[in-house]
Amino acid sequence: MSAISINIVVRRSGFRLRAGLGLPGDGVTALLGPSGSGKTTLLRVIAGLERHAEGKIIAGESIWFDASRRIQLTPQQRRVGMVFQDYALFDHMTVAANVGFGLPRRRRAITVAEWLERLHLGGLAPRYPHELSGGQRQRVALARALAPAPDVLLLDEPFSAVDYTLRRHLRAGLLEVVQDLRLPVIIVTHDLDEARHLAQRVGVLVDGELLRLGPTEAVFADPGSRAIAQVLGWSNFLPVRRLMGRRVAGPWGEIELEREPSIETAWLGIRPEHLRLAHATQPGLPARITGIRELGAVREISCRLEDGTMLTMHRPWDDPVPASGSRVRLHLPLPWLRCLADAGPARVVPGHDGDHPRCDHVPPVGEHPRVRLVPE
Amino acid sequence: MQTPLANIANPSLQAVGLTLQLAGLTVLALLVLGIPLAWWLAHTRNRWKTPVEAVTALPLVLPPTVLGFYLLILLGARGPLGGLWLGLTGHPLAFSFSGLLFASCLYSLPFVVQPLQAAFERLDRRAVEAAWTLGASRLRTFIRVVAPQSRRGLLTAVVLGFAHTVGEFGVVLMVGGNIPGQTQVVSIAIYEHVEALDYAAAHALSLGLLLFSFLVLLVVYSLNRRWHTGLPA
Repeated sequence: MSAISINIVVRRSGFRLRAGLGLPGDGVTALLGPSGSGKTTLLRVIAGLERHAEGKIIAGESIWFDASRRIQLTPQQRRVGMVFQDYALFDHMTVAANVGFGLPRRRRAITVAEWLERLHLGGLAPRYPHELSGGQRQRVALARALAPAPDVLLLDEPFSAVDYTLRRHLRAGLLEVVQDLRLPVIIVTHDLDEARHLAQRVGVLVDGELLRLGPTEAVFADPGSRAIAQVLGWSNFLPVRRLMGRRVAGPWGEIELEREPSIETAWLGIRPEHLRLAHATQPGLPARITGIRELGAVREISCRLEDGTMLTMHRPWDDPVPASGSRVRLHLPLPWLRCLADAGPARVVPGHDGDHPRCDHVPPVGEHPRVRLVPE
Repeated sequence: MQTPLANIANPSLQAVGLTLQLAGLTVLALLVLGIPLAWWLAHTRNRWKTPVEAVTALPLVLPPTVLGFYLLILLGARGPLGGLWLGLTGHPLAFSFSGLLFASCLYSLPFVVQPLQAAFERLDRRAVEAAWTLGASRLRTFIRVVAPQSRRGLLTAVVLGFAHTVGEFGVVLMVGGNIPGQTQVVSIAIYEHVEALDYAAAHALSLGLLLFSFLVLLVVYSLNRRWHTGLPA
């Protein structure tokens, strides 16, 4: 069980990836971000498969990569277990040969048997990958990566190859295996549910920049900036033009917050499930309902404020809702309103040597100084 | 290189033996050289890739006599390579088995490199990377993962390289000449028999070559078929 600290920059034509993160010796970290945000590249840099980078990667006591000292361990020398997207099993080998591939000959048989047992692959040792189901293939890939006892486990979109129902099932299985591991696990995904279910920490990548790393619940509850909030599925943003003490105002109106917002506040954000219709006595923003969609357990109601800003509201299916076209007033419950900066705030500052913040020491929301990003 | 075949009395058998030996050694040498070259061509983003690809393919389009002519100049006692070889070994390269082997390698290069390159390009790159992250060296990765997954490309390369070397004529005539037991391969022997109006001997050799080629192709196609229907390639 060894902590891992990563601080790297990758430059390619038209793309730059910067990430700095320190992870403790166990627990699951999910890297979230839209496609093209550099999640997979980051994973490949850690594994040593992407060789043109700057910076440092230190796992426990050993330096895997240090550009300034020209240290660059090969993938073979790093102790990484990697589960590729679509698993990349060796199709011409049996399940047992796949799992045993990374093991020295003398303890191969015993270790393979142990892992097959542990991942419920008992009777499948002589089968070939094309004879397995999607879930079995995933477990073989996992066993193959874990059998040589790596220092870190990397999973690249482990559920992209399976359909939705199976995905929920597999997620439970993966959680069961990964929970007991005493090593850092990094999982790349763009599925928010996956991240919330599996990970104790999430890191959010936008346009090649690791903008935020923190405990899952904290990051989901308060994204800090609009860019991060969008990755995390927030859809309601009110532009902020003026800050006057606790009061913020924009073209949509004015609202008084519980606390004085930070100077970087450029947007107010609220999740669709927290937005509601105002009672007769409550203050509220005048709006018009433009559409109602039934989504099963919830109803999605689209509203347009007077300045044209669109907001989405989720209400339980049995809540009465005025018909489309009605004029209503929207209530924004203050405890659920979040002040968001434009891009930043880079809670994790990549490119700086040495002391990058560890995710378990992330300061509470709103108390950290805004960090200036070093211009290119 | 002195060949033991010089002792065989029957000139036809001698030619056959020499041809098989030449083709076998050519394929062996081309695999050793061609696998790294094809791997590099399949994966590099180097700006020299295209020129190297073009040079590799040159023997496909060049008339064998042109290739043979320049090789003769290169390998001759006064040529840069021939002179060097003469100085090192005391034997000339032109009109010798060694020179013939060198020429055959160049002549059959595209037939080995191109199927290999195509196979390596089709290869699942992530399977190779998975092997690396599991600690396998490049050599072990090649033997355990790359070769089995590109075995059809390897087979095609071996067969095409072998068959093409067996069938060469122009280059051999220019570089090797027509020395029985030294450089007289089957195709040259047939030519000589026809020149001498010895149709019976020409027939025997030609039919032998025809049957041999057919058998090789039969084996290759049935192997390919079995590999295709068995495991996923």
